[in-house]
Amino acid sequence: MKNRLRELRAARRWSQADLADRCQVSRQAINAIETERYDPSLPLAFTIADVFDRTIEEIFLPDRADTANAPGLPREGISED
Amino acid sequence: MAKQAPQDQVARAARRVVLIDGLPVVALGGVALALGSRPDQSAAQKAWWIAATGVFALAVAWVLLRAFRRADEYLRKIQLESMAIAFAVVLVALQVATVLDSAGVIRLHQLTQPILIGGMAIWLVTADLRTRFNR
Repeated sequence: MKNRLRELRAARRWSQADLADRCQVSRQAINAIETERYDPSLPLAFTIADVFDRTIEEIFLPDRADTANAPGLPREGISED
Repeated sequence: MAKQAPQDQVARAARRVVLIDGLPVVALGGVALALGSRPDQSAAQKAWWIAATGVFALAVAWVLLRAFRRADEYLRKIQLESMAIAFAVVLVALQVATVLDSAGVIRLHQLTQPILIGGMAIWLVTADLRTRFNR
């Protein structure tokens, strides 16, 4: 599963340790999620979404071919207006 | 980066606690092994051996419980995978020991405890190394 954790964290100038503290998990967990070695549980995904004040769909993206309609992904060839 | 140091210290402290828990348990396993390895034991010696083995088994469960309660979901996954590796090693070692016992090469009851202690050591070391290097 792809995610925008690193991008959102960088926008807020948070370290992995900052985000780990806010989510009450270890820094290794945040690192593993960012590097896509670990998919978080639904409760942790909700916590991360709350911390960033976003929805889960805006942060986590399914890692499959038919993600053209997934929110957060650029829509190739589709006009936004 | 400035706040990374305290978090690393927390992670190091967590690993240290696992070792502080685990090392006495491994030592207790060694004591149980030594007590059980003497041939022609008296009833009192057997009682000490059984008591040490019982305490060792309870201590293993206590270390497992504490490690799980401290860990978050990712560290729990690492712990479970490390336990699975150790369990597989123990199963294979016990199977080999059983075959060798059947062939009269070794005596299984002398190897059971070293195999179990080795499995626990594999679990602790694997979990520690994976936590240490997954940064």
